[in-house]
Amino acid sequence: MKRRDEVLVGLMLIFTVVVGIAGTVWLARGGLSSGYPMYALFPWGAGLKNGQPVLLAGVNIGFVSKVELVPNGTLLVTLAVNKEYQIPTGTTASVEPNGIFGDQLIALSPQLSVTTYMPERDTIPTGRGAATTGQVLSKADSVAAEVQTIVAAVRDEFVTDGGIAEIRRAIAELSALTSQLGTIAATQSRELTTTQQQLRSTLAAVDSSVVDSTLRAFRTSSANLAQLTSDLEKTRAQVSSILFKVDSGPGTAAKLLNDPAVYARVDSLLLRLDLLVADVKANPRRYINLRVF
Amino acid sequence: MLEATWRALHGAVCTTLSSVGVYGYYLRDIVRSARETDTWPRETIRQMRVIGVESVILTIIVAAFLGGVTAFQTRFQLFPGVQVSAVGLISRQSIVLELGPLLTALVLTGRVGARMTAEIGTMRVTEQIDALETLAYDPVAFLSLPRLLAALVMLPALTMLANTAALVSAWLTLIFATDVRTIDYVEGLRIAFTPFQVVYSLIKATCFGGAIAFVCSYQGYIAKAGAEGVGQATAKAVVITSVAILTLDAIVAAIFAPFVQA
Repeated sequence: MKRRDEVLVGLMLIFTVVVGIAGTVWLARGGLSSGYPMYALFPWGAGLKNGQPVLLAGVNIGFVSKVELVPNGTLLVTLAVNKEYQIPTGTTASVEPNGIFGDQLIALSPQLSVTTYMPERDTIPTGRGAATTGQVLSKADSVAAEVQTIVAAVRDEFVTDGGIAEIRRAIAELSALTSQLGTIAATQSRELTTTQQQLRSTLAAVDSSVVDSTLRAFRTSSANLAQLTSDLEKTRAQVSSILFKVDSGPGTAAKLLNDPAVYARVDSLLLRLDLLVADVKANPRRYINLRVF
Repeated sequence: MLEATWRALHGAVCTTLSSVGVYGYYLRDIVRSARETDTWPRETIRQMRVIGVESVILTIIVAAFLGGVTAFQTRFQLFPGVQVSAVGLISRQSIVLELGPLLTALVLTGRVGARMTAEIGTMRVTEQIDALETLAYDPVAFLSLPRLLAALVMLPALTMLANTAALVSAWLTLIFATDVRTIDYVEGLRIAFTPFQVVYSLIKATCFGGAIAFVCSYQGYIAKAGAEGVGQATAKAVVITSVAILTLDAIVAAIFAPFVQA
């Protein structure tokens, strides 16, 4: 055996092992640098595993280095972030689909204009992730099913049950109605134009001097009417005073109106007058003794 | 008629079982020869050079063409709308999981296995093996065990180099001959990757290496007298090894494929 064989074989094996390990680590971790750890919490079933990329605003800055199952329903995910990158304060982490083949990645979404950074070993708050491919496909399936149902219903309503024919009839009737309304509108427009012209000619015929004299006479009449009203008011006050006095005063008129005894005597007087008149009529000689000579 | 059919069937079964049996005996002899520690270690290093180091150039050339063609064809098989990084993913999965170890093993069957059978067969027909036995050397420890160990170690190493060369070749082909950019290819390489995919490739390579060394050395060991016998043994070794490699490929895939899933 030659020593050269040992050297060649050793070189080849060492080279192969180095290439194999470095290549595997490079693929699995997204690079050969170890980086510093950051943490994030996601719910169970997030589809995370070691080696998945970590993107900050779309830039690959590290990889998932560890996924621990926590009994309270969360996954404690350790992120290895390359040392040349820092994570701004306020950044949120979410799980996003990586392509259409079912792989996942962790997307870090920073806030704009933030100049402070999270310290190493800090926990990045979890944000809302994008829908996974499965969720999108499921949603698309449900949407497609609903669209199919709607299309079937529309077909039944519009094709099978004659909805399209009804719509066509309605459109034709609407068109006729529109035409009638147009005719009516044209007629009304002509009549309005005529009325407007007549009104303009009438207004033009009115003499302004006559209107002024009429207005002055109207003002005078109004003043007279006001004076008359005032006089009537005074008269009404005087009459009211008189009536008050008649109604409640101590005079004869008040007693005549309000005292029942006076009324009884007057009534008795009238009765005796009636008897007297009757007796005079019956026996005029008793009262009239006319002698000529 | 029925009796003749029965005899033919019986003969075929007996022949198959007999072949398996003699392979079993041969394997037993190889295991036993491991006690000859003064004989096989030095020869193993030499065989590692012959099988591994001397095959590096051929392996890389084959792998380079393999990777380039795979990536090129994959790019133009994508229908519109599919992300371009799928080229990296499909190329990686094709090369690492299947084409890398399989084509490397098949190529080495022709280069290493045929040479192994011819060497040992020639030693058999020229009675050099008998001479070794006369000198109290265990011929299995000197001829078979070193080749088996060397193949078991060097096939995975060559497969690793082949995978690397194929992926690099795929990258070069894509960036020079297609519209795929480096960042797309690298992103695709990393999609759904797990280190076990590399281990899976090495498991296949180890199995293929064992099959090449075991079958080819045995066929040389039992070669019949004359140049024709060596030729027949070599041809038979290549055929049996190729079929054995494909069969092992299916068996390994059936066993380990569920674990390869990302």
